[in-house]
Amino acid sequence: MIADARTALAVEGLEGGYGDSAVLHGVTLDVRPAEIFAILGKNGMGKTTLLKTMMGLLPARGGRVEVLGADVSRWAPYRITRLGVSYVPQEKSIFQDLSVEENLRLALREVSEFTDRLDAVAQWFPVLKSRHRQRAGTLSGGEQKMLLIGRALLTKPRLVLVDEISEGLQPAMVTRLREVLTQERRARGLAIVLVEQNVDFALALADRYAVLKVGAVVETGRTADAGARERIERHLVL
Amino acid sequence: MVDSARHERESRAWPVLPSAGPRWRVLGAGFVLLLALLAASALVLGEYAQQILSQAFFFAIAAVTVDLLWGYTGILTFGQSAFFGVGVYTVAIALAYYVEGVLGTAIVMLAAMVAAALIGAAVGWLSFFDRASPIYVAIVTLALPVVVTQVILSGGAYTGSSSGLPIPAPAISIAQWYWISGALLLLVAMGGYVLVSSDAGRILVAIRENEERCRYLGLRTSRLKIRLMAACSAVAALAGSCYVLFGSVAAHSYGDFVFGTELVVWTALGGRGTLIGPILGTVGVNYVSAVLGGNLPFVWLLFVGFAFVLIVVYLPQGLVPAIGGVLSRATRAAASLVRGRGAVVAAERGRAAMPQVRAAASTRGAPQEDATTGVEQRTPVLELRDVSKRYGSLQVLDGVSFQARRGEVVGIVGPNGAGKTTLLRCIADGRERSGGDVLVNGRHIAGLPPQECVALGVSRKFQTPNVFDALSVLDCLRVARSYRASTSPWRRSYTVELPEPALHTVHVSGLLARLDEPAAHLSHGAKQALELAMVLALEPTVLLLDEPTAGLTREERAAIGSVLTELARSHRLCILLIEHDLDFVREISTRLVVLHMGKVLVDGPLAEVAESEVIRTIYVGGGTRT
Repeated sequence: MIADARTALAVEGLEGGYGDSAVLHGVTLDVRPAEIFAILGKNGMGKTTLLKTMMGLLPARGGRVEVLGADVSRWAPYRITRLGVSYVPQEKSIFQDLSVEENLRLALREVSEFTDRLDAVAQWFPVLKSRHRQRAGTLSGGEQKMLLIGRALLTKPRLVLVDEISEGLQPAMVTRLREVLTQERRARGLAIVLVEQNVDFALALADRYAVLKVGAVVETGRTADAGARERIERHLVL
Repeated sequence: MVDSARHERESRAWPVLPSAGPRWRVLGAGFVLLLALLAASALVLGEYAQQILSQAFFFAIAAVTVDLLWGYTGILTFGQSAFFGVGVYTVAIALAYYVEGVLGTAIVMLAAMVAAALIGAAVGWLSFFDRASPIYVAIVTLALPVVVTQVILSGGAYTGSSSGLPIPAPAISIAQWYWISGALLLLVAMGGYVLVSSDAGRILVAIRENEERCRYLGLRTSRLKIRLMAACSAVAALAGSCYVLFGSVAAHSYGDFVFGTELVVWTALGGRGTLIGPILGTVGVNYVSAVLGGNLPFVWLLFVGFAFVLIVVYLPQGLVPAIGGVLSRATRAAASLVRGRGAVVAAERGRAAMPQVRAAASTRGAPQEDATTGVEQRTPVLELRDVSKRYGSLQVLDGVSFQARRGEVVGIVGPNGAGKTTLLRCIADGRERSGGDVLVNGRHIAGLPPQECVALGVSRKFQTPNVFDALSVLDCLRVARSYRASTSPWRRSYTVELPEPALHTVHVSGLLARLDEPAAHLSHGAKQALELAMVLALEPTVLLLDEPTAGLTREERAAIGSVLTELARSHRLCILLIEHDLDFVREISTRLVVLHMGKVLVDGPLAEVAESEVIRTIYVGGGTRT
């Protein structure tokens, strides 16, 4: 399948891994603009590896990745980012010694927009504004997650890839996050790829899903379809 | 899921592998090969080459100590030249003024090693206090050679100052020196190999990978590093004291920081953390410099500089790892041609790994017996009195007081930023809190560092998984277990005995089939499970868990939950658990403590608190439950 501008993300026969071990064995999927797509699966099935390979953080050993119509299979992460892609990794990769505000500022290439964008982000996560001068490393684990998400959305991306976003957040925050992502999708046509353990969260938010098993997609479908949950959970148990 | 009883029976039945493994074969083969190489080269090489190589061999011994410190343990040191210089000058001064004869020389050499070891220990003591950043040791060891050089230069005629101190040369021929230096290098390299492949060597790598985790596993890392520093200093001094006999003149340049830096450069070029790399790097650079320096004066420096830049840019790991990588890819390609798919290899690996983990007989008295006594039920195993913590102007904990008893699972819930992780930190490290008291088993933790808190029975799992990425799963478990089991600096155990709960965790998380994989390859969730197993291997009485099931699937979560419930019930552990998944908390906790803005808002039995209005308003939000 060839991607055109009407595809936010297209992955075809993607292979990848670390060192000796091959993790992805020909992953194929596509995500449309303004679509929320959940990638589910048990631990160690290659979900994080898939995101990292799509972002160019790990080399693709085969297959292709197209983002917003451009073939990015061999691109460095910073070039992919410039297309309007944000990546929220699972590990809390913030700049520990910089302040909250400095962390946010670094995400923007056009600094003049910063104040407006900060206000927008602070509406969702007030802590990012009230603690803007605090050293980011001293934020609690959950607050660091908010900073990561805030930083990703600050740039008004067209596609975000998020890894285990709901982990470590208090339930009220998880609900807030769901609202934020839905709103961004509706308002700006943001496409979102979620890697999730939390099936409830994924089903409540996503339009379509794919289940990854041993580095390959074994199940895809619409979350609204009858029996979607059963089909997903069957793969999570076995 | 395999039921745990059957699994346990099986695990106890597993045979223990003999501890003489492939490493003795590697050692034997390496020894024979290198000795043969030495013998053959002695026949072929002329006197000039032998002289250059002898010098390089002595330098290589010092480079091996740099590799042990830097490549394996992560201690960047520029000061090994200073210890080499201590050896050079102790022997030179003694022979020039006080001592003669073989016995006298031998005693002086021994004295030089002892002196260097003492200085090394002092340097370690200065650099490796808890919370010292790794840059401390680099600075201290950078200063040390400068001090040594200044002492030599200001010694006037006594030390020979800048013109050097000649000594009477012993009657040893160049050919003999070639054998002596070669054999000594071989011996030191073999000793190094035995150390790094031993149980203690595994801990050295663990320190390099994550020293904080080591401390929280009860390991006294500072003491280990000081000992290593002292031993490496003594070996460098031995090399220096032999070298001065060989060269029969002591010069200050053998103790200065240029030489110290060169040792680091040679180690880096050859490939740090490989032992053989630094040897090849040192010998190669010295030999090539000498040969080219003779034929192409001046231009050779350009060659060496150019080669250095190329290696740094294209082979940042050094030469040996790069060559090793090519070789292993080639063998893998060959193997996959023969065997077909890689999956078969993985399966075989998994099966071979099975007998490596087994259940340990508990090292402490069965706690179940006293579980029924009322005394235990009443006295808290953990008590917090008015604990507070501030980071600068930010008050994170404000007068937190509560008690917890054996057999309790206390769920700590609260909004993000309420101070939950800080609370655990204040229990696991006596130096963390700004005010108040923490008592474990009735004893004040006062200002005890984490490794001492482990001795009181506290162990902590971090919020983000903390494992040793460069080590295999099995080695991570062994390092964790070394607090309970003895650690040998020469033997290597190929098995690990784990207490039942840790073993069970390894089993239910599927890690049993992946024991030989580097921890870096594990998924986030598998790392979580591994760290939990590592923490349980300490057999704690107070277990602090910071979101232990984040990143796990519901099934894995349930399995871990049952491990925890069982720990509290039959092993009478006191568990403090931070979790956001209220369903999970409800399932396994007996009590809830709600933390909000650094204060305990509610503390009570699960049933009361979980359904209370407080939880709904501050935590779940909007009156809805997720």
